[in-house]
Amino acid sequence: MAEKEMEYRVELFNKMTQTCFNKCVDNRYKESELNMGENSCIDHCASKYWHVTNLIGLLLGSGRPPM
Amino acid sequence: MDKNIISDLDNFPEEDKQRMSTMADQLQIRDSLRMYNSLVEKCFKECVNTFYRKSMTKQEETCVLRCAQKYLRLSMQVGLRFSDLNQGSSTTDK
Repeated sequence: MAEKEMEYRVELFNKMTQTCFNKCVDNRYKESELNMGENSCIDHCASKYWHVTNLIGLLLGSGRPPM
Repeated sequence: MDKNIISDLDNFPEEDKQRMSTMADQLQIRDSLRMYNSLVEKCFKECVNTFYRKSMTKQEETCVLRCAQKYLRLSMQVGLRFSDLNQGSSTTDK
């Protein structure tokens, strides 16, 4: 079970990284550094992604059928 | 999948039945976690598009919950249809 949990965490991290990259990073790649706007966006995106994970976790864990 | 497969398990040795049951449980756990991750990713992409602040807006939360509930409904519906379709076919080549 610990192995499954680890697998899940790794996948969560990868999906969060990929999603926030797509949401926040300017795809013209004018520079290799993250600019201030991107840094802020990534920070907020990761926070919101975590919140969504918890929100859906509560929904799935409640055991009730979807309303 | 052949609809007789489940009843055919009765003919297996107890040890094999136990092993297959454990394997089925593990697959179910793995698939549940994968589904959870996919659901989060999908609903996040659909519902969260502004990052001016760290906390979720009410609209975002509502959208995420509706999205997740709709996805679960769809998943159940597809499961039922898949089960129906599965009854009519078998794994053996004709």
